[in-house]
Amino acid sequence: MSFSKEDLDEFKAEALDLLEIAEKSLLALDSGAEFKTAFDSIFRGFHNLKGAAGIMDMEQLQAHTHELENILMGFKGDTSISKKYINLFLQGIDAAKVLLDGGEVQFDYSMPQPVILNTPNTSKDNNVILDSTTVDDPLEVKDEKILEQKDVSPETMGDFFVECEEIIERVSKHLQSIESGESTKDHLDGLYRDVHSLKGAAYLFSYKNLGDLAHIMESSLERVRSGTHSTSPSLLNGLFKCLEMIEKLLLAEKNGTTNETIENAIPRISKAMTKIENQLPSLDQPSSSEEVSVLDVEQENTQKLEQEQEQEQKSKQVNQLVPKFEETIQKNDPAKPHAANEIKNDDSTSSIRVPVALLDSLMALMGEMVLVRNQVLQFSNKSEDAEFISMSKRLNVVTSEIQAGMMKTRMQPIGNVLGKFTRVIRDLSQDLGKKINLSLTGTETELDKSLLEAIKDPLTHLVRNSCDHGIESPNVRKAAGKSEIGTVSIKAYHEGGQVVIDIQDDGKGLHREVILNKAIEKGVINKVDATKLSEKQIFNLIFAPGFSTAAKITNVSGRGVGMDVVRTNIERIGGTVDLSSVAGQGTLIKIKIPLTLAIVPALTVKCRGGTFAIPQVNLEELVRVDQSMTQNKIEFMHGTPVFRLRGSILPLVDLNVVLDIEHEVNYKDGIVNIAVLNAEQSSFGLIIDQIQDTVDIVVKPLNRLLKSLLAYSGATILGDGSVAFILDVIGISKLAHLKHEKIKTVAKLTPHAYHTNEAQDYLLIKVASPTRHALVLGYVHRLEEFKVKDIEYSGSQRVVRYGNTILPLISVNKGLGYSSTQQNQEIVPTVVIRRADHLYGLEVDAILDTLSSEADLNYSHINNPAIFGNLNTTDELIVVIDPFELIESVFPQRLGSQESLHSGNSMDRNEFVMNAAIDQKKPDISARILLAEDTIFFRKAIKDVLQNMGHEVVAASDGQEAIDLLNQAEKPFDLIVSDIEMPRVNGFQLANAVRNHPKYSSMPMMAVSSKAGLSFMKECKKAGFNIYMEKLRPNMLENAVNDLLSKEKSAV
Amino acid sequence: MSNTYEQLTTFYVDGNMFGIEVLNVQEVAGSPLVFSVPLAPSFVRGLVNLRGQIATAIGLRELFDKSSKDIESRMSVICKIDGNLVSLIVDSIGEVVEVEESRFETVPDTIPQQVRRFIKGVYKMNGAFLSVLDLEALASELSPSTEADSGRNN
Repeated sequence: MSFSKEDLDEFKAEALDLLEIAEKSLLALDSGAEFKTAFDSIFRGFHNLKGAAGIMDMEQLQAHTHELENILMGFKGDTSISKKYINLFLQGIDAAKVLLDGGEVQFDYSMPQPVILNTPNTSKDNNVILDSTTVDDPLEVKDEKILEQKDVSPETMGDFFVECEEIIERVSKHLQSIESGESTKDHLDGLYRDVHSLKGAAYLFSYKNLGDLAHIMESSLERVRSGTHSTSPSLLNGLFKCLEMIEKLLLAEKNGTTNETIENAIPRISKAMTKIENQLPSLDQPSSSEEVSVLDVEQENTQKLEQEQEQEQKSKQVNQLVPKFEETIQKNDPAKPHAANEIKNDDSTSSIRVPVALLDSLMALMGEMVLVRNQVLQFSNKSEDAEFISMSKRLNVVTSEIQAGMMKTRMQPIGNVLGKFTRVIRDLSQDLGKKINLSLTGTETELDKSLLEAIKDPLTHLVRNSCDHGIESPNVRKAAGKSEIGTVSIKAYHEGGQVVIDIQDDGKGLHREVILNKAIEKGVINKVDATKLSEKQIFNLIFAPGFSTAAKITNVSGRGVGMDVVRTNIERIGGTVDLSSVAGQGTLIKIKIPLTLAIVPALTVKCRGGTFAIPQVNLEELVRVDQSMTQNKIEFMHGTPVFRLRGSILPLVDLNVVLDIEHEVNYKDGIVNIAVLNAEQSSFGLIIDQIQDTVDIVVKPLNRLLKSLLAYSGATILGDGSVAFILDVIGISKLAHLKHEKIKTVAKLTPHAYHTNEAQDYLLIKVASPTRHALVLGYVHRLEEFKVKDIEYSGSQRVVRYGNTILPLISVNKGLGYSSTQQNQEIVPTVVIRRADHLYGLEVDAILDTLSSEADLNYSHINNPAIFGNLNTTDELIVVIDPFELIESVFPQRLGSQESLHSGNSMDRNEFVMNAAIDQKKPDISARILLAEDTIFFRKAIKDVLQNMGHEVVAASDGQEAIDLLNQAEKPFDLIVSDIEMPRVNGFQLANAVRNHPKYSSMPMMAVSSKAGLSFMKECKKAGFNIYMEKLRPNMLENAVNDLLSKEKSAV
Repeated sequence: MSNTYEQLTTFYVDGNMFGIEVLNVQEVAGSPLVFSVPLAPSFVRGLVNLRGQIATAIGLRELFDKSSKDIESRMSVICKIDGNLVSLIVDSIGEVVEVEESRFETVPDTIPQQVRRFIKGVYKMNGAFLSVLDLEALASELSPSTEADSGRNN
């Protein structure tokens, strides 16, 4: 018999499903699942495959599965299967897969054979059961009758009914063909096999009556099939009737009832059929297949006349029998067939099989439809026809819904891939002598089929790596205080339009030194660069080509080709791989992949070469730079444009230059658009002429010539019918000679960069000085621009009306003693500072930018109290202004200044300074000072000042930490300097806690805050602070500290 | 069997007649809007939106290293080569001719290499030569085997 390719493919798919089911159940059994269920499902897997293989003429496969089935039968009634046998079965499944692909297998079944019940059938000859003409059915039937109906799950029963229906349909087709004279051997064989399968399945599920009927059909066919007799109309009639009854029985069974009338009729039918069988027209010369079938037809014709009468008689017998049954069925229970029909409907609509090719072509059409939709929408934007506009909107909605639905048809749960790892891990743990547990979460997460295929190999590699390199051997784990059983957990979930897959192990983790040494040894990186890498960058080295950390190459992994291939493969489908690890605790690999490839959201941009699309996945942010500004614009480093983005240097690439449209660009004036893109763990800015729109684009492939240009990953047709190229971001960065290694040393820009690096934020301002000036950003209340004509005078003080209040303006230029040059400007940029419940406006020449810098403040060479210090960045010197000092120089009376709270008398500032100056002496003791301050900048600054005085300073980032430090302190502190506004525990609470502490109740405390005002000072006093200081004047801080310490000393 | 005939779609480039087997030609069109591909070799004129499908426009003048003087109306012959749609940009379109296979000859060695490598052979016609375009050679030009030899030869 010959089968079409489609048939074979379908069979293969089904066979693989069956094997998978068996494998899953085996593994479940291995990990202690309930025996009976698992056993049944394994058995069904083997058995069904055996049957299917028989139908498809794959004798080897059939024999193989039969052997497996027999061995398995030995465990019937047991409660477990030993590991040895589970291994045997697993290998058997692998072998079956090889056979399925047309390979040859020498399989050794010679495990100590379990007790086999069906001795007559264990011989190798059994492999041709279905083809053999002398099948000894009853015996086999007994073996297969192993399932108690009640133990079978409803799904399995559903499968059984569906299968039976399929078989019945095939049988009736065969019968019809034979009846219409196509009595070829193929049909007869097919008929015989189907009937046989039906019988097997029926007995397997304990449907004795069904099985008996099928058995009757099968035996009646025996002679015809063996070639000794030809078919007769009465035989066919009888077979049809039997089939009809089987169908009825099946309906009844499905409905959960039985049909006794038919059951009782079975013996009679059996007799009738045997009679018909015995009267079959015999052939004189039984010979080989083809001839027989031809003869069959001729013979039948010639014999027709002679036998007509007799046959008619016989067929009447059956015919008379059957209608009677039918009548009784309907009389007995008219509701039954109806109910059965309903069930059938449910089954047939629940799912259908559709060829992938059809889905693919629908998908392609869907893409076209999206394009047309885009075109219509674009057109409707220009239209004023309300009806058309509303129709196009409707079209938009419907198309989007179809698109979403279409996408769903291609979606498959990721569990299809992840499930396979159960086996992988099991095999690996045996090979490696480790104990590994696999935990899967989010297996129902859906992903495009093509993507699922694409991530299969990389995932397998990562899982193998985790087992091989990650999880330690049991004794090592034990020694490390971990559970002997390692865990690899795979978690899949949706996040931000992407699917994230986490592969986590609780193994030994990555050791940065080991990786670094290996990388240097392998020449992946040189020693100089190696010192500059962050931990993350070091870990990412394992993705570099030619890198392998395995001490020795095992057959599992460690060939040194894996991880870079993993990354390449995942990046090819638009995904990213990220790795983090804690030495000794394990490794986490995060894979992010898009939901689908066919339609991607993208940003369209323009440059002189045309329109281009940047996939949203690659896009981090868009930056608009005004080159006419004096600061914060594109700068050149060795002729290459760069841009400072939040303190980090962002390499810039001009799209026009990369695409060879222009060779020199100077960004003189005007606006420059930068798209910040991510490529292989690093970022770069792409300078583009024009940003257009975000659209869903349908990716069209390019030919290899254009792909080899590196710059494009595809093309698409936009709404206006024009063609746009999809930029390959990685390719562009390569084209721009941003060498792999080079980019890697540029830290990836993260919004957290300035938190982790303990940087301080500044507001950069321009004043009448060549140097840029800055204010600590935290002090800035608002930025305003006032019109000169709005400025009024209150006395000699320049003020503006600001909301309900009057905002006094202070010129920074004047305050710092610079001669103001810009007199004629119409707008006055102003920095509004809040202090002591009052707002003050600082007039500046221009507000430039914010800056995040880790640079240290330098306090030396400062002769102006309004200048706090100098910020020494890598590129320039920035003067940091103290706005409070500036304000105070203009409004000395209005501010409470610092007051000595413990004396209760408010002191004039100058007097205080004078006193302090007189008092000032080098501290004869080095005090131990606890500093609580949440702002990094001030923590550093105050600490510096105090340390310069010769004190020992312990810094805490908030009140809670300060309390902890106090409690843990080995040596007592002499003084606490604390901020008021702090997270968790604020300064007041800290003071309260200290004062209530038996040990520290008399410890001197100084409050340092930017808040001021009498009420605030009172609160400070109430809380227990001895003195209140404004932030931050180093010399006064010095004096106040000395003052406090000496008083404390004299008190003692 | 005496003579077999072949039908060729003919067109002209720089005064020379060329032909493609009729079965390989999908359609003949005017000069569509071409979206140029930066960085691509000069014979890749760009991409064309062919009713929702994207075709690569190949300028045969540029491919054959002929002066690409401005011809007002160029025509295009659209073929499917190696699964990719290609729009060959030619000077003008000729007739569909039927040629006898026996009149087929190989390309003389003296023809410039840049033209010869894309020509399968020549038919002698009345008063003219008809060069048969080698679509496979064109296909391999569009699918460089390695990235290395895909240099920009413009």
